[in-house]
Amino acid sequence: MFWHNPIFRRELLGRLRSWKTLAAILAVAIASSVLVLLRWPTDGTIAIVSQGAMLVFRPLAFALTLAVMMLVPAFPATSLVAERRKGTLGLLLNSPTTPLQIYLGKLLSNVSLSLILISVSVPALCACLAMGGVSLIDHVGPLLIVLLAMAIQYSAVGLWISLRSSSSDASLRWTYAAVLALAVLSMGPLVLAGNLSGVVGFIAQWITALSPMSALQQITGVQGAASTIGMSTGWIEFLGATVLITAGLGVVTVRKLDPILLDRARPTGKVQTGSNQSGFRKIAYLVDPNKRKSGIPIWLNPVMVKEFRTRKFGRLHWLIRLVSLCAIISLMLTALAATGTVSWGVERIAGPLVLMQVALLLLVGPSLGANLIAAEVESGGWQILRVTPISANRILVGKVMSVFWTMLLILLATLPGYAVMSYIQPALGGQVSNVIVSLLVAVCMVVCISSCVSAFSKSTSAATATSYGILLIIFAGSLLVWLARGKPFGPVLVERILMFNPAAAALSEMKTPGFEQYSLTPASWWVGCSICLLSIAILSLRVWRMTRPD
Amino acid sequence: MTNTSDPVVQTQNLTKRYGEFCALDDLTIHVSRGEILGFIGPNGAGKTTTIKILVGLSRPTSGTASITGVNCSENASKIKRLVGYMPDKFGSYDNMRVREYLDFFGAIFGLNGKARQKRIDEVMEITDATYMQDKFVESLSHGMQQRVGIARTLLHDPEVLILDEPANGLDPKARIEMREILLRLAAEGKTLIVTSHILPELARICDTVAIITGGRLRAFGQLDEVMRDLCPLRNYEVQLVEIDDMEKANQLLQQPLGDTQISVSKQERTLRFPTADTEQALAGILQSLVSNGIQVAQFREVASDLEDAFLSVASGAKSS
Repeated sequence: MFWHNPIFRRELLGRLRSWKTLAAILAVAIASSVLVLLRWPTDGTIAIVSQGAMLVFRPLAFALTLAVMMLVPAFPATSLVAERRKGTLGLLLNSPTTPLQIYLGKLLSNVSLSLILISVSVPALCACLAMGGVSLIDHVGPLLIVLLAMAIQYSAVGLWISLRSSSSDASLRWTYAAVLALAVLSMGPLVLAGNLSGVVGFIAQWITALSPMSALQQITGVQGAASTIGMSTGWIEFLGATVLITAGLGVVTVRKLDPILLDRARPTGKVQTGSNQSGFRKIAYLVDPNKRKSGIPIWLNPVMVKEFRTRKFGRLHWLIRLVSLCAIISLMLTALAATGTVSWGVERIAGPLVLMQVALLLLVGPSLGANLIAAEVESGGWQILRVTPISANRILVGKVMSVFWTMLLILLATLPGYAVMSYIQPALGGQVSNVIVSLLVAVCMVVCISSCVSAFSKSTSAATATSYGILLIIFAGSLLVWLARGKPFGPVLVERILMFNPAAAALSEMKTPGFEQYSLTPASWWVGCSICLLSIAILSLRVWRMTRPD
Repeated sequence: MTNTSDPVVQTQNLTKRYGEFCALDDLTIHVSRGEILGFIGPNGAGKTTTIKILVGLSRPTSGTASITGVNCSENASKIKRLVGYMPDKFGSYDNMRVREYLDFFGAIFGLNGKARQKRIDEVMEITDATYMQDKFVESLSHGMQQRVGIARTLLHDPEVLILDEPANGLDPKARIEMREILLRLAAEGKTLIVTSHILPELARICDTVAIITGGRLRAFGQLDEVMRDLCPLRNYEVQLVEIDDMEKANQLLQQPLGDTQISVSKQERTLRFPTADTEQALAGILQSLVSNGIQVAQFREVASDLEDAFLSVASGAKSS
């Protein structure tokens, strides 16, 4: 039936012909096979009741979950916004095709692709079944259902955000933020409020059910953070939450797929000088957003100022709001750290704190960095910059610093939590300094890698998706290896791989459970700095080349 | 003092090859101060390649290009200050107002403080863009964006302006405004190189034209000279009062014109023919029509335009 939907056919066939799809499918197939091969028993016999198969199955399940989280949202996130910018969405909406057909065509084509992506891991999952100790009904089947549900949920989220975004990279950024929120932040109510009862507890449990983590923990039998915070939902609840969220977002998106609703006026810009409201705006915003800006001062890099001004949230009044928001988050973290440090201990509270900061940096950094050069090339601005006397070096410094300062601002605003920890346990001073250095290294890595990727991409959406991919491999991929510590990865190999991840270095400094045995600093800093230097060298060469005559 | 007839822009045997493909073949042109050169050619003719070499974005395989004597490929940094280039793609930035956009480029060109603000006011006045200074660039219409683009190219007061398809996508009113701006700039002594597909538009502003197809220069010179060279036959039109006289008039015209193809439009009561005859011979034709009792409403030359010249060159290039 769906095969007769022209949108479905075009989307599916178009994407199946793309080399990016082939690369994604191959990557999942190779990664799942390698994981099984590495964990395959080398002894002649294996006890069926042993945990041998589970040792293969668990990392495979988490790796597949990460793959779905990384790969599935990218396509729907750029789908509708790209069509709208090209003007083809208007053509579709003015054709006899109904908004529901357009929506289903796009949603189901993406789900079909995800199905192909998941199905390439079936041989690896069958290998687990063959080993014994893993059942089709209790483990493999539910896992495949959860992965498919995740694909449906993230596709619906991506399409919903895509319809509301003005650019592909903004849509990608918000979609990944939403995926992160659904997967991780949805566990927040239970983490913050503990095991609640009554209506509030019921709501908290259902919000938590939006995250696939509890479902995965139930399927893989891992007793981790989920059980300690009182999470009692499983994969059935996750399916229920997925149906609800997908249906809700589907209705909203289809209703919004209307040519009249999409006909939005472009903001023309308004500058009011000398009006009565100016004083009020100064009080409300601290910086009057409607005041004409003064020229770029001589001592500032004009490219850096331009980068700030062209960012939606780069204007001074937005930066003030951003810092205020970070300060509020910081105060909450500080309160959490203060109470948590006293009752749970520093080790317990520092881990989530570090992970939250890194998640924030990973969310904001790649989208800013990946925009730097690719957006300039895409808009035609690069061609104009090339015929001006500005040097490649000045362009590079201006662009990179514009992201670095923003990231540093975000990092600084989230630091007071550590100050509270140091105050409560003064002996922690040294460790906290090392954590801060590790986070600074993380900031540099995020900025340098995403800027480097940007210089090699012709579209911002490709640059953003690639940057997210590379950074997630470094930051989350290394944690996957850590999850599979013991077998097949020995402690030395795990330690070496964790050295590429400054977040792991910060966790080991705070003696977070599972990271106590590793000594990652200062080696991790040197590795991080080397990666940054290498990225900057490649970026400089590329930018220099791009400013030279053809 | 600089002689106004000295070439400001000059290319000598300019050639650009991409592997086996020859994008530009032996191009030699020159433009004097205050002149407007219309650079005409179909898509892929080599116009943009020439422009890229002139603004220092590309290096020629052989030959030279210079602006006010400065070699374009050897001294790219000097060229950037001598040329104002407006590509066919505007290059706007999101969330940036017109004044901020011009301020950014002013800062890049090293204009500082009050001098920069004064220059921004000046260029906005030249291009009639002052009223849009607080609007977001991306919210402007195409015509308004083109004006901001020209304002940007003028910021550093360059000697030469190179505009790639400035009239592309503009409505008639915006096109007239653009024409006025370009003529004003030429009158102020700027040298302009303008490419366009809208040939009647170019014919109204250009002093000199260069027609290029397949990377080769097919015609170059003053507009009227090029027209004379490419369209040696003039088109004449005879409009009659009575439709019944059409046949008789056709026969009378055939005698002096010989094998010349005469096109007849009964609805318009008009006969049209190309001829290289002198004025006296044409006066004789008119006299013969009148003396034979044919009432002539109009007997006039239909001016050939740049489109005819371009089509003549393009068809010649295709057949060769």
